[in-house]
Amino acid sequence: MTAYFIRRCLLIIPTFIGITIMVFTITRFVPGGPIERMIAQAQQNRMGETSATATSASDEQRQPLSEDQILELKKYYGFDKPIIVSYFLWLGKVLRGDLGVSTRYYDPVWQIIRERIPISLYFGLLTMIIGYSVCIPLGISKALKHKCTYDNITSIILFIGYAIPGWVAGIMMLVLFASYWDIFPLGGMVSDDFDDLSRISQLGDIIWHTLLPLSAYMVGLFTVMTFLMKNTLMENLSSDYVRTAIAKGLSFKQAVFKHALRNSLIPIATSFGNNISIILTGSFLIEKVFNIDGMGLLGYESVVDRDYPVVMGILVISSLLFMIGNILSDICVAIVDPRVQFK
Amino acid sequence: MTLNPLTIKKLRRFKSIRRGYYSFIVLMILIGVALGAELLVNHRALIVCYNGQYYFPTYGRMLPGTVFGGDYEYETDYRKLARQFAKTSESGNWMLLPIVPYNPYENDFKEGLYPPLPPSFHDRHFLGVDIVGRDIAARLIYGFRIAIFFSLLLLAANYIIGISIGSAMGYWGGKFDLFFQRIIEIWSNVPFLYVIIIIASIVTPSFLVLILIMAFFGWIGITWIIRTVTYKEKEREYVLAAKALGATDVRIIFKHIIPNTLAVIVTFAPFAISGGIISLTSLDYLGFGLPPPTPSWGELLQQGWANMDAWWISGSVITAMVVTLMTVTFVGEAVREASDPKQYTFYE
Repeated sequence: MTAYFIRRCLLIIPTFIGITIMVFTITRFVPGGPIERMIAQAQQNRMGETSATATSASDEQRQPLSEDQILELKKYYGFDKPIIVSYFLWLGKVLRGDLGVSTRYYDPVWQIIRERIPISLYFGLLTMIIGYSVCIPLGISKALKHKCTYDNITSIILFIGYAIPGWVAGIMMLVLFASYWDIFPLGGMVSDDFDDLSRISQLGDIIWHTLLPLSAYMVGLFTVMTFLMKNTLMENLSSDYVRTAIAKGLSFKQAVFKHALRNSLIPIATSFGNNISIILTGSFLIEKVFNIDGMGLLGYESVVDRDYPVVMGILVISSLLFMIGNILSDICVAIVDPRVQFK
Repeated sequence: MTLNPLTIKKLRRFKSIRRGYYSFIVLMILIGVALGAELLVNHRALIVCYNGQYYFPTYGRMLPGTVFGGDYEYETDYRKLARQFAKTSESGNWMLLPIVPYNPYENDFKEGLYPPLPPSFHDRHFLGVDIVGRDIAARLIYGFRIAIFFSLLLLAANYIIGISIGSAMGYWGGKFDLFFQRIIEIWSNVPFLYVIIIIASIVTPSFLVLILIMAFFGWIGITWIIRTVTYKEKEREYVLAAKALGATDVRIIFKHIIPNTLAVIVTFAPFAISGGIISLTSLDYLGFGLPPPTPSWGELLQQGWANMDAWWISGSVITAMVVTLMTVTFVGEAVREASDPKQYTFYE
């Protein structure tokens, strides 16, 4: 067992290198990187100066940076070396805990990411807690009332939630509750006058801003977890050991809660490990819709603005989390279910 | 074609799940309407009767204004012509315009009014116009047609790649399997939306290019499933029997194993279709999908999000999305339930 998990952990290394080298290569071939942006910026500055002094048009068309300057910039960003060399230079830095400097904000990447983590973590944890505490009871009650009106109605509602992506539901809620009825804010984490509020109204303000995005996050997750719970419980209810338990005179309630339910919680427990990366990285579409400055939005903006150190930094963190989450969920299975043997 | 009794039983079960069956009918009607969209939503008239002669301009070449006695060489403005005919009704000329007499690309500007404009039955803008004066109903229907065929083609591409790699992985196993497992692990970790955004910002993707890019990342899910199923099927006796009779690997995979995994393949198809629609809409929403002015739901959502006072934009596109995705999901759920041999016992 231990050997299996050690092997799994070692397999992270080639996968990690594969992922990062692929994205790294892509970023090198894309036009519009930091150097091109600097040239464009310099050109704009010069345009501003020349239009003031009104020199000839040919002067404005000229390359604003000299060859030496461009070479120097390339050296600074590591673009002068072949891909594989600069990749391993980058990897070496990452191993020493240095994710580089953002080409957009000129701040260390780790610092930028660290500022965003609490926001994504806040939504992720809330979603998980509320999700588990609603889905498990809901799934149980749906399994016990299979094919009743209650089951059918909740199924329809859950399927509607499953069908609509969270961010579309988010737009719908914004249009209805924030624009049409004006009950909730249009987005962001806090109001403009947040600092002037008292402690209690600050808390209220955060909750007020949290409700809509939180429901957008929950929309899809709800359905999957509830049905997972319902279907596994029903499977266990129809298995022989529950029949035996009832046959030997156990009450139905006891059979469900003492025998079937315990076994049904196994798949739910395994899904926990996979949720780790969701907790931390969030959904950039929902964050974009609600204008929340979390990890997802940071990643999206850095791709759009070609801020490659940040792109790579987020990739490092999210891919590591994803792989560790996978292993964790296997460990969860092994802990919860003693029958499972990994070899 | 004769169906095997098991399939007939499954079809009967599918029919008996009413929610899924009716959703299937609604979905088919929607696709049918989208296919014939030109007859319902178009700037060209359906029938024109001019000087005793009949014209059917919907399909085919464009008819210049001179055909109907106009003084211009460009395409006839049928809406204007209709008003003209109405004034001179004694001449016997008449025409039948589609329900929504606008195409998804034309801007219908009204004097003194600035789009977006709310729904108006008088102008036959039943769902209003968007921020540049295009009819929303027209853009919704044509956008639906593009989205549904996009996801159908994407599904075909994903399935072809996924089934061939997945069954090969499951059938041969060993080193081949391990190698592709690693590739899949890498592939599924690369944030595919990032890569699409990066690619889309270099080249403006056309319909087919976008399908290719998305299929490049979309084959993983089905590959994984088919691999597992093939692993199970490979151990069954009929494979051994086929092998003993001297069947080649290719024959065993295509003639014996894949038909037996068909249930799984069919079950996942509706969910893949709704996934395809959602990813195309997300990309269009972000502005990295099909190039404008292609009618698309994502672009309408973006407009609705940016102009929340214009509730009719987001309202109509979200309703359309909910209806489509819901019917697809219900069909998928019914297909899954119909092909699930397990009948749960439950206690009263």
